[in-house]
Amino acid sequence: MIEAKDIQVTFNPGTAIENKALRGMNLTIPQSQFVTVIGSNGAGKSTILNVLAGEIHADAGQVKIDEEDVTDWSTYQRAKLVARVFQDPMAGTCESLSIEENMALACGRGTKRGLSSAITADRKDFFREKIAVLGLGLENRLGDKMGLLSGGQRQAVSLVMATLNPMKILLLDEHTAALDPKTAAFVLELTEMLVQQGQLTTMMVTHSMRQALDHGQRTVMLHEGRVVLDVEGDQRKNMKVEDLLHMFEKVRGQEIDDDALLLG
Amino acid sequence: MSLIAFIGAIEMGLLFGIVALGVFISFRVLDFPDLTVDGSLPLGAATAATLIVNGTNPFLACGVAFIAGGCAGFVTAWLNVRLGILHLLASILTMIALYSVNLRVMGKPNQALLGEETVFTPFENFIDLPYYWVTPIVLLTIVVAILVLLNLFLSSEIGLGMRATGVNARMASAQGIRTGKMKLTGIALSNALVALAGALFAQIQGGADITMGVGVIVVGLAAVILGEATVSMRTIVLATIGCVVGSILYRVVVAVALNVDFIGLQAQDLKLVTAVLVILAMTLPNARKKWAKRKAVKGTL
Repeated sequence: MIEAKDIQVTFNPGTAIENKALRGMNLTIPQSQFVTVIGSNGAGKSTILNVLAGEIHADAGQVKIDEEDVTDWSTYQRAKLVARVFQDPMAGTCESLSIEENMALACGRGTKRGLSSAITADRKDFFREKIAVLGLGLENRLGDKMGLLSGGQRQAVSLVMATLNPMKILLLDEHTAALDPKTAAFVLELTEMLVQQGQLTTMMVTHSMRQALDHGQRTVMLHEGRVVLDVEGDQRKNMKVEDLLHMFEKVRGQEIDDDALLLG
Repeated sequence: MSLIAFIGAIEMGLLFGIVALGVFISFRVLDFPDLTVDGSLPLGAATAATLIVNGTNPFLACGVAFIAGGCAGFVTAWLNVRLGILHLLASILTMIALYSVNLRVMGKPNQALLGEETVFTPFENFIDLPYYWVTPIVLLTIVVAILVLLNLFLSSEIGLGMRATGVNARMASAQGIRTGKMKLTGIALSNALVALAGALFAQIQGGADITMGVGVIVVGLAAVILGEATVSMRTIVLATIGCVVGSILYRVVVAVALNVDFIGLQAQDLKLVTAVLVILAMTLPNARKKWAKRKAVKGTL
C-alpha cells in the first residue's frame, strides 16, 4: 500500500515565481490497484509522481510504502520499491549502451551490485524471453545500441525493464505522450498486459481523459495541487469523458480552458 | 628514423596509453572533464621517485603512487559531488593544489633516479634482447594487464552502473545506482591510473620533475580521440583498446613529424602540435559532415 499524506511542495518559495505545486495532497493506493491520474497543466501530476519516486522531497507531509516511512529516502534508496517509466523515451534508457546492458541495469534495481559480470549467458536467455513478448523482433538484437530503436520501441523496452524486478509501485509518467497514436495504443496495451500479469500496483499519469477512463480501476483528478475527484467501481464504469469534464467544472466552479484535456 | 627512436615512440605510446585509459574513464565513461591528471601524473612520479631513492621496493613505490593518484581524483570528485563545485573548476583546483603537494613530496623541484633499481631492472636479465627492448616489453605487459582488469570492471554490475551514470544519471539513480559514489570511484580510478603512468614515466626517464605534468590532459585526450577515429567504438573492449592504439599512433606520428627535416618542426613545438591536432580531431568530423551534406544537396539540384 502506498500512502501520501498531506504532501506540500512549493517551488521557488519566497520569490516572485513562487509556485505551490502540491497543497496538502492525500492519496492512498491499495495493493494491486491501477490508478490513473489526470489534471491540467500545473495541477501537480508530475510533482506527486516525483515525490513518490524520491526525486522531489516534500516540504511537509509523509510518504509511506507498505507502512514504511520513506519520506526522507533518496531516489536510489527508493529504487528497490519504485519502478518507473519516464515520459521522454530518451530519459528512461541509456542510448549509448546496448539493449542487454540496459536490461542488466534494470535487473540490478533493488539488488546490491557487485563485481560479477553484468551480462551472463543465463541473464541473456532471461532477457530474450522477456523481450520476445513485445513481438518486435528485439530478442535477436540484444547487442544493438538502445539509440538505434524508435521512441515507441524504447518505451516498450522501458516497460519491460521496469517490470523485470519486483516493486511496490510502478510509476508511469505520461509514458505515451511522446508517441504517435498507433504506437501509444500499442504501449498502452502492453502496459495493461504487464500490469495484469504481475498484479502490479500502478500509478499512471496521463494528459488524456480518454486514457484515464479506459485504463485501470480508479481515476484521480488533480487541480491546483489537490485531489478534486476520485472515482472507482461502477461510478467510474458508467462515466464518459463529458461527465468527467462536467464533474470537474462543478467541483472547481469554473470553465476548463485547457484544450489538451478536451482534445486528448 | 632509427629503430631506437621508433621503439622509443612505441614505448611512450604504451606509457601514455595508460594515461589515455584514465582520461577515457573521466571524459568518456563518466562525462566528467577532469584536468586533475596534469597534477596527478607528476604526483605519481614524485611519490615513486622519492620512495625509490629512500630505498623502497620499486613495485611497492608504484603501488603507493597508484593510491596517491586515487586520493587526488577522489578530492576532485568530492569537491564536485559533495560541495557542488563545477567539475572543470574542481579539477583545476586540485591540479593547482597538487603543484604544492608535489613540491612537498620531493622537497625540491625534481628528483633524479639515476642508478637506482626500478621495476624494469629485474627484467633486464630475463629478456634476452638488446636493452632498448626491455622497457617496451614490460610496458606492453602492464598495459595488457590493465586493459583486461579495466574491461572486467567496466562490464561488471558496478562498472555498468558507472557507465550508466555518465550516459544518463537520472535513469541510473532511478535504477538504484548511487551516481555520486560512482563519480567518486571513477575519477579516483582514473587518476590512480594516471599516477601509475607517472611512476613508470619517472623510472623510464630517470627522474621526476615538477613540470612533467604540463599538458598531459591534452596528450591523453588526443590519444582517446585518435583511438575513436581509428578503432570502432562499438563495444567497451574496442573503445579501451582504441585508447592505447590511439596513444601509440599519436607518438609515432609525432616522432615521424619531428624527424622529417623539411617541415621544420622541433621538439619544443610538441605541445603546440598536440593542441592543434586535438582541435582538428574535434572539429573535422563535424566539418566533414557539413561538407558531405552540402555536396549531397548540390547533387540533387
